[in-house]
Amino acid sequence: MATDTFDPASADAAGEGQLTLEDRVELLRAMLLMRGLEERAMSLYRQGKVPGSFYDGFGQEAVSAGAAFAMAAEDRLCILHRDLAAHLVRGVAPARILSQYLGRAAGVTRGRDGNVHFGDRELGCVGMVSMLPDMILVATGMAMAFKLRGEARCALTWFGDGSTSRGDFHEALNWAGVQRLPVVFVLENNQYAYSTPLDKQFAVDPVERAAVYGGAGVKVDGNDAEAMFEAVRVARALAVGGGGFTLIEAETMRMHGHAAHDDMKYVPKEQLEQWRARDPIDRQEARLDALGVDVESVRGAVAAEIEAATEEALAGPMPDPASALQGVFCDGVAEPLGDGRAPWSGWQRRPA
Amino acid sequence: MVDVTMPQMGVSVAEGTIVAWHVEPGDRIAADATICEISTDKIDTEVPAPASGVVAEIAVAVGETVEVGVVLARIAVGDGADARGGNGSAPAAGPPAASAPAASAPGVSAPGVSAPAAAGPAAAGPAPAGPPGEVPAAPPPAAGGNGRARRRYSPVVQRIAAEHDIDLTQVPGTGRDGRVRKPDVLAFIERAGSGVLEDPPLHIESPYRPDPTAAPSDAGGTLSRTRRQIGEHMKRSLETAATCTTWIEADMSHVEAARASLRLTALPFVARATIAALREHPALNATLEGERYTRHADINLGIAVSLGDDGLIVPVIHRAHELSVEGLSARIRDLARRARARELTPDEVRGGTFTITNPGQYGSIMATPIINQPQVGILDLEAVVKRAVVITDAAGNDAIAVRPMTILGLSWDHRALDGVQSAQFLAGIKCHLEGGTGA
Amino acid sequence: MAILTYLQAISSALRDELRADERVLVMGEDVGTFGGAFKVTDGFVEEFGSERVMDTPLAESAIIGTAVGAAVVGMRPVCEMQFSDFISCGFDQLVNVAGKMYYRQGLAVPITVRLPSGGGFSGGPFHSQNPEAWFMHSPGIKVVAPSTAEDAKGLLHAAIRDPNPVCYMEHKHLYRRIKGEVPDGVFETPFTARIARPGSDLVVIAYGAMVHIALEATEALDGAAIEVLDLRSLVPLDEAAILDSVARCSKVVIVDEANSTCAAGAQVAALIAQHAFEDLDGPVVRVASPDVPIPFSPPLEQAVLPGVDRVREACRELLAY
Repeated sequence: MATDTFDPASADAAGEGQLTLEDRVELLRAMLLMRGLEERAMSLYRQGKVPGSFYDGFGQEAVSAGAAFAMAAEDRLCILHRDLAAHLVRGVAPARILSQYLGRAAGVTRGRDGNVHFGDRELGCVGMVSMLPDMILVATGMAMAFKLRGEARCALTWFGDGSTSRGDFHEALNWAGVQRLPVVFVLENNQYAYSTPLDKQFAVDPVERAAVYGGAGVKVDGNDAEAMFEAVRVARALAVGGGGFTLIEAETMRMHGHAAHDDMKYVPKEQLEQWRARDPIDRQEARLDALGVDVESVRGAVAAEIEAATEEALAGPMPDPASALQGVFCDGVAEPLGDGRAPWSGWQRRPA
Repeated sequence: MVDVTMPQMGVSVAEGTIVAWHVEPGDRIAADATICEISTDKIDTEVPAPASGVVAEIAVAVGETVEVGVVLARIAVGDGADARGGNGSAPAAGPPAASAPAASAPGVSAPGVSAPAAAGPAAAGPAPAGPPGEVPAAPPPAAGGNGRARRRYSPVVQRIAAEHDIDLTQVPGTGRDGRVRKPDVLAFIERAGSGVLEDPPLHIESPYRPDPTAAPSDAGGTLSRTRRQIGEHMKRSLETAATCTTWIEADMSHVEAARASLRLTALPFVARATIAALREHPALNATLEGERYTRHADINLGIAVSLGDDGLIVPVIHRAHELSVEGLSARIRDLARRARARELTPDEVRGGTFTITNPGQYGSIMATPIINQPQVGILDLEAVVKRAVVITDAAGNDAIAVRPMTILGLSWDHRALDGVQSAQFLAGIKCHLEGGTGA
Repeated sequence: MAILTYLQAISSALRDELRADERVLVMGEDVGTFGGAFKVTDGFVEEFGSERVMDTPLAESAIIGTAVGAAVVGMRPVCEMQFSDFISCGFDQLVNVAGKMYYRQGLAVPITVRLPSGGGFSGGPFHSQNPEAWFMHSPGIKVVAPSTAEDAKGLLHAAIRDPNPVCYMEHKHLYRRIKGEVPDGVFETPFTARIARPGSDLVVIAYGAMVHIALEATEALDGAAIEVLDLRSLVPLDEAAILDSVARCSKVVIVDEANSTCAAGAQVAALIAQHAFEDLDGPVVRVASPDVPIPFSPPLEQAVLPGVDRVREACRELLAY
């Protein structure tokens, strides 16, 4: 298993073949929706309508949009808190997401957990916990079940640069390597774990660890949605074909603080300037603009969708306090995860 | 420095009189030991020391009456008291200093003030009338002031009692220290049957209960309720116990001499001797209920008191073993007076572990008393009469002498005891009465 | 009906489940080829293959975490901690991921974690613990602790078929010491308490190995009729059975092998204090291991673990009260 750098140029080229124009617009739409919803949620947070703290993935939209876009309906995802676009790709309605932020009854967790800590069971997603990267083992276990049952399915999870320091990261890569499991690990390297920079997190680039655990490792421009898509598409194909795991290091930048209360004083201005020039949405819009797509009308449609979602979410009730005591245990049948939305056109072209 | 204050012996009591001091300034006293005796218009009682230490000051003299809360004495506690004992200033051994209570107080309290607790009002203000709020360790009156054991019930016992409308004071306890346990109250219900609800029985240890409906004047031979219940109680005892009676003759010369000087009756002396003998023969200080035989650590001595036409009652001197002859005498007088005045509380007629009956003032010389259930023995004291008896001197020479003699009768329950134990017990009483130290 | 040891009963339940349900898999350290440190899965690999009887890397967090992943896509994993002590390394996955999953997102996590627990054989501080209270304190996790061979099988069947994470506390000391009649085939024991011996004067409440200590300690004790209530399940706790025993007996001794503070017995005592106050005829008495690590040397270990004498003495004291 080689560790190599994924070439954005070849990705573009490959993307040409894999992504239709509609797919590429869909990628833009997912990123615009993510950014717009997070901006709206931040605004609601500042109005005191969103309780608790608030986290977003501003500047990182391509990582989750591109990766999720490569996943099949029957695949399963464990989604991190800066990956809202993955939920949107899988089909979670914007109003449910805003309701989630607002702690409303109509939120995905019905007010039981906050902000991006959710997963829609029916759409094949498992909500994260705050202990990072716990979900990496859950994704590994899902892949273990797929392999055990001989199913051509894949699990995928995201985690950050800080997560590579914890034991669960190493246990999962080792496990996936030993059992040669169909799982894709997306290391979302956004340069800072809260305030801790990379040089205090690891001495060796974590992508190089993939090989020592028996998997493939690639670096991708995490601010290019199509490059992300292609890297994950290839990794997924390798996985379901029995080739084991891939660790994809998506290089990106956390353009906002760790949370709303973090002013990011520790980040040099030049670093932010440099990454602002590489904004993933600007990049996708420029691409589509060059292909003659009316980007403004896409933006307008997304804005209208967010308006409607906001109205719906704010009109929804808070959860009934009595419901706080319910549903600690399942007393019915353990329903497994359902299939998610898989908008990539490639799935329609796939032979049945 | 800890203050000893005039306790509140009842809600309405406002003042009390010092009857006696048990200590003098400079004496060391242990917490809960009696420091003085007081008299109030409700009750005469002993005041236990609120702390261990050295008596620094006695502020109220015998015979004086002061309000509740007034400081009666002060006890130096802690290091100050210890240091004083250790530095050779002869605390209790110096009779000249200690014999003048009031005068010695300032001299004693000065060194004792080194204890931190002494800072504040006690040191600043003059002795009497210390603010009540500053009393650090005055015990609640019921806890020890009158020597009555506290009786607590477990939740289940209280619940069952409430459900069956049972007066728990009537239920004998077989648990540790006489605790009433769930089986006790269940057995009580079973014994009482369904009648318990309409006609609560009298106290198991006392047939007496004030009869508010008064004696029926139209009685043409029908027994009063009280009489009827005394009868039932006595009958039940005879049916329950295997009653035997044993007698012993005692020479009361020693007692007669002592009581003449103290101006007391013979009863407290006999009570004191009985208590000493019970200590030596704990098998008699016991209760037997069904098959459950319990020896008791405390001696709660019942004294039968006649109420004339209204029957009799057996008030109980709780923890009687802690009392001197004088203390017993005072307690017996007080209980008898209040029994006749119908002032006894339920606490004062329950929990007995042995009973003495004393109808002897009319000259009868022997009786066969009926055991007060569920106790296992009752001692009968009859008249003291002068008789010619054979005495033996130290050299072994016999002679006939006139001596005040009495016959003590003990009825005992052959289910719990055998003859030898009761005989030994009686011999013990005799020995104590005759000036010996017991069997 | 066959006579099985406690350990054979556990094996039997696992084998029956592997045969009955292809979603069931057994995973843990040395459970495959070697057949498990205590030989619970001896011979399983031959019958079910190394994928369903999986020798895992030495990584407890990964064992629990991957089991959660497998469970949410439809499997019924049965994880073995080689010793319950090692669950500390998998604690986060169990408590934060598995335990809270259903409440947060309605996603059930049907995993069973077998926890060989308990002391009495000089296992020392890291092979003798009884960590059940850790999980009683964590919402969303069921905790069961069989004391008999029959319950060992029935509770394991029920645990595997339960849609929730279940910690199955199997007491190592009972493995080969306890034998009993066990019905053939699959049967589920409900997560409720069991009266191990009826009585009326006092009830000893215990679970796991302490049930046997309680039975021995109160056998013909001064002629008193002493009930022994085997909790069997700690989460859910059979509150009705506990309160019923207390109502009848009115005196309670609660025995834990675990360290005393905040142990299962502490919860039982609190329950009784709150809901059975008016049934009590004496203080609620607890016997448990003091709050020290379980020492290695036999006299030290015996000084710590609750034994027959301690339980008997506690009962005597309370009976006399």
